Amino acid sequence: MIEFSDVGLRYGNGPEILRDISFEIQPGSFHFLTGPSGAGKTSLLRLLLLSLKPTRGRVTMFNEDVANLDQDRLLQMRRHIGIVFQEFRLLDHMTTYENVALPLRVLGQAEGDYRSNVTELLEWVGLGERMNALPSVLSGGEKQRAAIARAVIGRPKVLLADEPTGNVDPELSSRLVHLFAELNRTLGMTIILATHELPLLDRFSYPRMVLNKGELQIHE
Amino acid sequence: MSNPIARVLDRLPMRPGKAPIVPERSVAGHTLLLLIAIMTFLSAVTLGGVVLVQKSALAWSADVGREVTIQIRPMEGEVMESNLRTAISLAESTPGVASARALTIAESEQLLEPWLGAGIDLTAIDIPRLVVVRLADPAAADIEGLAQNLQAINGATLDTHAAWQQQLNSMAGTIVVSGLLVLALIAVATVLAIIFATRGTMASNREIVDVLHFIGASNRFIAGEFQGRFLAIGLRGGIIGGVAAIAFFVLIGLTAGVVLPSEASAQVGVFFGQFVIGVDGLIGICAVVLVIAALTAVTSRMTVRRYLAETS
Repeated sequence: MIEFSDVGLRYGNGPEILRDISFEIQPGSFHFLTGPSGAGKTSLLRLLLLSLKPTRGRVTMFNEDVANLDQDRLLQMRRHIGIVFQEFRLLDHMTTYENVALPLRVLGQAEGDYRSNVTELLEWVGLGERMNALPSVLSGGEKQRAAIARAVIGRPKVLLADEPTGNVDPELSSRLVHLFAELNRTLGMTIILATHELPLLDRFSYPRMVLNKGELQIHE
Repeated sequence: MSNPIARVLDRLPMRPGKAPIVPERSVAGHTLLLLIAIMTFLSAVTLGGVVLVQKSALAWSADVGREVTIQIRPMEGEVMESNLRTAISLAESTPGVASARALTIAESEQLLEPWLGAGIDLTAIDIPRLVVVRLADPAAADIEGLAQNLQAINGATLDTHAAWQQQLNSMAGTIVVSGLLVLALIAVATVLAIIFATRGTMASNREIVDVLHFIGASNRFIAGEFQGRFLAIGLRGGIIGGVAAIAFFVLIGLTAGVVLPSEASAQVGVFFGQFVIGVDGLIGICAVVLVIAALTAVTSRMTVRRYLAETS
């Protein structure tokens, strides 16, 4: 599904942030991406999100070399990838429902077609009674669950999460990872979850991609 | 939802999907609205002025073109009254002439009054006399034939006012071109202001743009969302400016009659017609409003597309 071969990345004329990255991700798998701050986790996620192009090496996603993709195809491919951020990045002027429905709205779907799906998903993530609340009145955990719901409403094949537990307490962190695990198990979504919280990783047995000084090691 | 309040809330129509993606308050709205209102007002007033001058020039030109004047200078041994009668009969027998009439001494005195002052007795002085010839059809009138026939009268000349007409046309043309130049400059200034406002708005809404990109929105979709906001501002600003311009013309029309003395008001009326915008004026102002709104929408869309191409 995703294959990196000898990928390198640098910003401008700076040093290489990522060096000789090679790995393969199978459909329906769950991987933790970890490493100390500044190790290049976010840069690797941006490569996976197709918002950056590697300076060397080859990235293949969904059996296509991303270097050969035009803007339209890149956009289509990006719609198969969901992303969750540490800082939630919900739109403050929209309700929880509107934030979660946004990916379907930008695809031009009619509200009548997606209303029940969005409502059902919000119930599933435990936000059924917070549908009409604005992000400003949601707790950190609620915001993150709304962000996760927004990322998965379009049924992406791959879900990326960049430090999704960074702004919540350890108890909630564990529950959020369980939510990702549930998505992986029930919907077969491929998940790559970046975190530097080692105690959290120890509670789960998923393979770990460990980045250190721009180099990657995989611990199955 | 289990509790009664929640059940009631659940029955209420939700506002899902209806909130604008780009919030109204996030666009540099008030400043841009004011700027577009001012630009529309200036455009509408300039356009009104240009139309007024052009219409007056056409009316003057048509008036002057429907008349020629025969001037008969007093000559030694010539009888003025007899020459006047001959000139009138020559004029009346010329094809295309509707009527010919000699100005009386009193009328001639009135014409000279602005230069010589009132109350001067001109009976002692031999002054040239004028015959006003009104043309039924300026195009078909045989002016050359009349000029030739008038050579028979000693001291008679024919003035077709062609030089006046030409001067009038070139003056009106200059004013119209200047007005159009001002309109073009206003359009350029408006476009530049919209570009700056759009780029500022895009920069301050970077978070929304990023989120839209991450969830798979195309640049075209994002540009459309921002364009919708700017079109609304353009229309609102245009309508405010247009209504202000209509109020301006109405006010000028009302005050011109009140402030100016009646003779001066009459002269202004002769020169510029009445300050009434009329139906064509209203259509012109509506067109200005629509053009400014469209200019706002198109400029902002192009700026947003360029900004997105640079940043994504």
